[in-house]
Order: sequence, then C-alpha cells, then structure tokens
Amino acid sequence: MKIQKLLLLVSLVGVCLLLLTLQTRGYGSAAGDLLTMVTAPVQTGLARASRATFGLWATYLDWKTVRAENHRLREEVQELRVRALRVSDTDVENQRLRRLLGLQEKLPLTTLSGEIIGREWGGWIRSLTVNRGRGDNIPRLSAVISPDGLVGRIVDVRPGASIVQVLTDPASTVGAHVLRTRTPGIVEGDPRGTLRFKFMARDGASIQNGDVLVTAGQGGLFPRGIPIGTVRAIDNRGAALFHYAELTPAVDYARVDEVLLVTGDTQRDLTAFFPADG
Amino acid sequence: MRGLLVLTVAGGSVAHATLTPMVSVRGVTPDLPLIMVILLALRRGPEFGCLAGFVTGLLQDTAGGGLIGVQALTKAIIGFGIGFAGERLRVSQPLVQVSGLVVLTILEGLARFSLLQIFRFPAPFGELMMYVVLPQALFNGFVGAAVVLSLAASQVLRERFQGQPS
Repeated sequence: MKIQKLLLLVSLVGVCLLLLTLQTRGYGSAAGDLLTMVTAPVQTGLARASRATFGLWATYLDWKTVRAENHRLREEVQELRVRALRVSDTDVENQRLRRLLGLQEKLPLTTLSGEIIGREWGGWIRSLTVNRGRGDNIPRLSAVISPDGLVGRIVDVRPGASIVQVLTDPASTVGAHVLRTRTPGIVEGDPRGTLRFKFMARDGASIQNGDVLVTAGQGGLFPRGIPIGTVRAIDNRGAALFHYAELTPAVDYARVDEVLLVTGDTQRDLTAFFPADG
Repeated sequence: MRGLLVLTVAGGSVAHATLTPMVSVRGVTPDLPLIMVILLALRRGPEFGCLAGFVTGLLQDTAGGGLIGVQALTKAIIGFGIGFAGERLRVSQPLVQVSGLVVLTILEGLARFSLLQIFRFPAPFGELMMYVVLPQALFNGFVGAAVVLSLAASQVLRERFQGQPS
C-alpha cells in the first residue's frame, strides 16, 4: 500500500518534471494548448457568472445606497416641511401682530394689548381668557377689540388674567346700529353661538343683507363705530314690534389670538379706523 | 462523492485564476487551491492529496499561463506530504491547521522559486518573498482560518440536526 502511494507520487512528480523539461526545450506548447482547450470554456463560464454575481452585488449596493439616500431625503423633506410650517405660522402671527399694533397706534384710545390664553366655548358661556389682569389695572367692563371688530367686554378681572364675555355669549347685549341706515337696535348672543340684531320693525324696513353693524357708542361702555358683524338674514316677524336680523360676526371669536383692551376714554367715534365693509 | 471532489478540485483551480483577482488586497491574493489541497489531504490522506495537488496545480499552471508543471509538482508534493503527516500526527486543531497553512505556503513558494531556478526562469528571491510569498501566506492563513471555522461550525450544526428526533 505504501509503495503504491509512493509510486503515485513519483509518477506524478515524473510527469511534472517531464512537462517542465519539454517546455524548456520548446515542446511544451501542445500540452498547454490541450489543457487550455479544456479549461478555457470553464473559465469563460465562470467569468460570466462572476461578472453577473458582482453585477448583482453592485446593483444591490446601489439599491442600498439609493434606499439610504431616499430615507435621508424623506427625513430632510419632513424636517423642511416642519420648518416651513413653523415659518408660515410665524409669518401669520407676525402679520396678526402687525395688524394689531397698527390698530393700536392709529386708534385715538388708550389700549393695552393682550393674548388669549383660554377659551370657554360651551353653550352656556362663551368667554375668552386674556393674559391681562388686576396688575395691569384693567377696569371691569372694558371693551375688547381686534383689528376686525368688537370681541366683547371684560366681565371679570383676576390676578394675571381677565375674562372676556364674547358677543355670542347668550347673556351678551350691545347697543348697535346699521352703518348704512343708522337703524338702532341691540345685538344679542344666542345659545347657538350666533349673533342677532333686534330692532324695531318700524325703523328697520330698509335693512338689507350685507349691511354692516357697528357699536352705537351709547352707555359709555363701547366706543362708537366698532364693527360687530354683517347682516346675513332678516327674520321678518310680520306685525311684531321687534324684528330680528341674523349676523355674521366681524371677528372669528374661535380663532382670535391677540386683542386690544380699551382702558381709557371710550367717547370717540372709531368708524374711520375700521374697514367700512365690516 | 469522488466525482464531486474531482469537480471541486477542478472548479476550484480554475475559479482561482478567474475570481481571486477580485478579492485581492493591495495586489495580494490567497492561493485557494493550495488551501483546498491541504484541507482535503488532511481529511482524505496522501493519495488524494497528491492527486488533488497535481490536478489543481496543473490547472492553475494552465489557467495562469505560467510554466506548466511547476505548481502541479509543488502542490502534488505538498498534498502527499500533508496527507502523510495527517495520518501520523495530531493536526486536527484549527490553530495547527492555520499556522501549518502559513508555513506550507512559504514552503510552496520556496519550492516554486527553486523549480523556476532549475528550469531557468530566474526570479528575484527577496522581492518575491517580501511582496508575494509572505503576504500570500498571511492571506492564506486568514482564509484558511475562516474555512476551518466554517467547516467546524457546519459539522456542529450537522451533528445537532442529526441528533434531533424527527
């Protein structure tokens, strides 16, 4: 057995040495050609397979890179969207504050700006909480206005905050008149959260939809000429003494964020300081 | 089984010439057929090692375009020697196998250099050793370690699966 193994080794070594000798003497090309004929097709196949495999790998790597990039870009887009939202929010706030400041500067009244920090929007009460209170010397029943019109009045002054009764509160009443016809009446809030104008039938025959209502300025609480709303529908009650008009409020009470509190003299006509269309 | 081994030997040799350039590190490539011959010789004995070495070496010579017979001779001798040693010495430890692989790569390099000298294909010894043989020996060591560990892991898994009741 051992001799067999040795014979194998010796014969293989002999073959190799023969091959080498033949090659060094210039006879080796035929053997090389024969072997190459066998190995070349296998090599070609393997080269193609390897190219395909590496191509697939490269595609996978590309896909992975693209996927990672896609993920990164998505995050970037998300971040930019958030940033854009913040910017647009800041922009809107900036515009609102500019309007408020503009109004404060041009009004011939002593006012104090305040920020809405709370809202009570149930059917029973409709009120806002403003961040101005006893420390700011806010008198009770001060008028609260925004650049769009009248918001309501202060009904309770607390340390650091005050409660504003909004015009749509069922207990709210404000003396008003139609800007175009000077028809006087009272604007009341109702439990549905809307405003209505109560006027004497004999005075209000000419009221039309779209008429603007402003504060009458009687009683000394509200300055004259602050927009309250526009007539949306007229409720003609026939022979009744009072008729009603449904109003669209000049101010979106649910969205108002900054207001002015009228702390001084209220005996001025402000009609010229607000848009004529309410 | 024998057919599969022949296919492994033949395919491995040609694959070496075709694929190893793609896994080269700074121009150094592992001698995959040598690793294969050594591991096969350790498991199959000197006859198989010698034949496998001869065939892989011959195919490497042909595929690589060198002097045909140089690697066939060196690998046949190494295959025989390792197979012979494997039957008599304890070489089942992975550490022995891997370090043996490094040493054998160097020895194969020296044998090749000697053969080239004998058959009048002069090559610079120092540079050959420094830039080809020694780095390849280290590379072979790493690849051999990975192969040995993979084989050990697959053996453990196979035993575990065979031990499980169906």
